[in-house]
Amino acid sequence: MQDTDQQVHEEPQDGSGREVDPKLLEILVCPLTKAPLRYDREASELVSDQAGLAFPIRNGVPIMLVDEARQLDDTK
Amino acid sequence: MSDPGIIFERDLLRRRRERAAATFADFDFLNREVAERLIDRLRDIRRNFPAVLDLGSHDGTLGRLLGPEFGVERVVSTDLAEGFARRAPAPALAVDEEALPFADASFDAVFSCLSLHWVNDLPGALIQARRSLRPDGLFLGAMLGGETLIELREALMAAEMAAAGGASPRVSPFAEVRDAGALLQRAGFALPVADADTVTVTYENAWGLMRDLRGMGETNVVAERHRQPTRRDVLFRAAEIYQQRHAGADGRIPATFQVLYLTGWAPAPGQPKPLAPGSAEASLATLVGRDDG
Repeated sequence: MQDTDQQVHEEPQDGSGREVDPKLLEILVCPLTKAPLRYDREASELVSDQAGLAFPIRNGVPIMLVDEARQLDDTK
Repeated sequence: MSDPGIIFERDLLRRRRERAAATFADFDFLNREVAERLIDRLRDIRRNFPAVLDLGSHDGTLGRLLGPEFGVERVVSTDLAEGFARRAPAPALAVDEEALPFADASFDAVFSCLSLHWVNDLPGALIQARRSLRPDGLFLGAMLGGETLIELREALMAAEMAAAGGASPRVSPFAEVRDAGALLQRAGFALPVADADTVTVTYENAWGLMRDLRGMGETNVVAERHRQPTRRDVLFRAAEIYQQRHAGADGRIPATFQVLYLTGWAPAPGQPKPLAPGSAEASLATLVGRDDG
């Protein structure tokens, strides 16, 4: 029994997170609209302009869950 | 939850899975066993699958067993829980099986080990899995079936009836093998096959079983449950009933896990197809070698 927290971080938090596998980026689409995503490297997000959602990338792991996505009209 | 289509609360499942992720290695025996059985099936198929999606990967047990033997060059690990995805072989991502984020025709195979029984919209999830496959790509999935935990369900039901004069769903409704074949067909898979086997695990008592279910992240997430957790006295009574009804000579109790295996192929030209009914050119009697008709 070690870390039973909701957030498990095995790598140090360096803010931006690791790069996403480029081959993975080629096949990723928006889970809602199935439209291509825009990779915002600086914000470490995958943006679905159509759905108005930005999916976070945490330590190189894209979180493609609508519940975890940021609404694009939110303040950044 | 008032939406009649929602059987499982996915939020709750996600939280359970996130909690389970950290200590899953202590509770992954069922996952490992079923992953091995899936691998055995794969050996019989004798095909190469360069790009694979591991759907509901947990910590990547199945993905780690896939290698050059099956022509696998790349496994994308996915789980509803970020904690599991993080522990699975990279590249990994958190996804909801009900809303897959993959372009059409991205994979040569989609494998899934013990996650799909928590999906509300199984037909939808299967359709999305099929679309993510290239033509003639393989879907092979294992999920828990309707006979799973039958002993525990009966014991809880009996204890609850005695305590409250009514019973509520306590253990998730699972799919039946006959539903599974029809689902594959409806999802557009060619050559769909569904079959089942069981894994029986013995425990000292029902508490041991319940602890394991928590560790696996497999405890009840049925939406239509009481607001309060099961009362302590009902649980105690259920554990007693379980023991009385099922304990073997050594005092240990069995827990049955039924595993459904779903196999289907993304349609492609040139695939074998079943003949239309009535299209046979020889009578059955001829085929079985009887000519006395």
